[in-house]
Amino acid sequence: MDSDAVLVLLALGPASAVGFYWAMHRHYRNTDKSHAFERETAVEVLSLTGPEADRKVDELRATRSARVQGDNVGNHRQRLQPM
Amino acid sequence: MPPAPGQHPLDPSTLPQPIRDELLAPDPAPIDTAAKELRNGLNHCPKCGSTEVQHRAGSDRLVCLYCRNEWSGTRVEEGFGLGEGIADLQGVQIASGARDIAADAVSLRSFKCGGCGAEVVINTETAMTARCHWCRHVLGVNEQIDNGAVPDAVLPFHIKKDDAVARIRQFVNKRRLFALKAFKDEFTPENVVGVYLPYMVVDARGSADAAGIGEIETRRYTRSEGKNTVTYYDADVWRVQRHVDFTVDDLPLESSAKRGNLDTRTNTHNVINTILPFDTKNAVTWNAAYLLGYTSEKRDRDVQHLMPRLQDQMLSIARAQIQPSVRRYDRGVRWERERMDLKGTRWVSMYLPVWLYAYHQPGPSGGLLHYIATNGRTGETMGSVPVQQWKLVLAALTIGTVVEALALWIIAS
Repeated sequence: MDSDAVLVLLALGPASAVGFYWAMHRHYRNTDKSHAFERETAVEVLSLTGPEADRKVDELRATRSARVQGDNVGNHRQRLQPM
Repeated sequence: MPPAPGQHPLDPSTLPQPIRDELLAPDPAPIDTAAKELRNGLNHCPKCGSTEVQHRAGSDRLVCLYCRNEWSGTRVEEGFGLGEGIADLQGVQIASGARDIAADAVSLRSFKCGGCGAEVVINTETAMTARCHWCRHVLGVNEQIDNGAVPDAVLPFHIKKDDAVARIRQFVNKRRLFALKAFKDEFTPENVVGVYLPYMVVDARGSADAAGIGEIETRRYTRSEGKNTVTYYDADVWRVQRHVDFTVDDLPLESSAKRGNLDTRTNTHNVINTILPFDTKNAVTWNAAYLLGYTSEKRDRDVQHLMPRLQDQMLSIARAQIQPSVRRYDRGVRWERERMDLKGTRWVSMYLPVWLYAYHQPGPSGGLLHYIATNGRTGETMGSVPVQQWKLVLAALTIGTVVEALALWIIAS
């Protein structure tokens, strides 16, 4: 068994304790819940433009990360710099 | 001193025609939702004239307790055309019940009884009806007074108390093992209170822009490094920009400063926020008789206070609407800049029905008030149940120890 696998196995104990505490605390206190207005409101899109203007600016070679750095495509509530 | 509405620092007649036309164009007229027939404060039964009028539980109707006549209020959606023309909204339109609260407004108001002329005092902070102590008529606050207590519309309770009690009991039964002992001992869901909470319901039209970087995977391969294999990716990097015009119909925002504070470290108002939305399309014109037997909380936020929150939620909605158009970027998109331009908004104030169960957990700096809330229309229930910390920590440590022992056994063997 290599040293990485041993470390992973040793970390399982503390990780499961923290994970269990966190999951149960959330189940009882529901501090992460709020109105899902993005999904639950009647929205009508009148027009959506932009895909035709997207342009390639660079190429990445041999990166180890599976996603773009700072991916926030699904994090709709994160506020960004104003344009 | 700010100029009066409609006044301009420059004389419009000296300006070029297109600018003059724009300056002199009429301001959007407020939507007047005040019920003129109820102005004297007496909710008469349209059949017999009695003021013994009450909301009939489980329906949107009012019932006369004297002659059993039943009738319902006008739906504001149709009555004032609130469901129409969202795509053409311009500027800020505010219904008469959502107007700014006067700075010197007080909650304690005296009303002249329309039956006998006596002065009756009502504390509009918590009650909207009172019985005249002389002639026994029921008086309701129907006039849209300047302290924000009378909204444009009310959505009557549909879920009855028994139903709400059952839902809250079911919610807590799923969270008993690690619940605070005192909470379980004192748990009496029959103490649930029906409350009309103040909201602004907003229709809006906006344009949003977002710009960022998207990546498309072109190749994926593995290399072995020592004993491990590592995955590498090649990708194309794209500059991405989107523009979306959209409308939003009936977005509810808390119009009470206290309820709108969703900081989960200091309160549990987020659970009341979670049971949104309501079927606000069915809201009826204001009539204080709907509130008989329930309590209410007064609005204390104006349109200008809620504008930043609307901007924020509109931006989030825009980003959610844009998402399907960037699916081809399979390594995701990093949005870096965004902008929201609100073209038109329409604000209507409403009382929305919530069943609330509260438990105060003592602690430092005043402790924490835990709410369990049931939506008075849809029955959606959400709550915060206080946790017995030592019990949960002990259970977590036990599980951690068992897992660790298993891991050590696997390593040893």
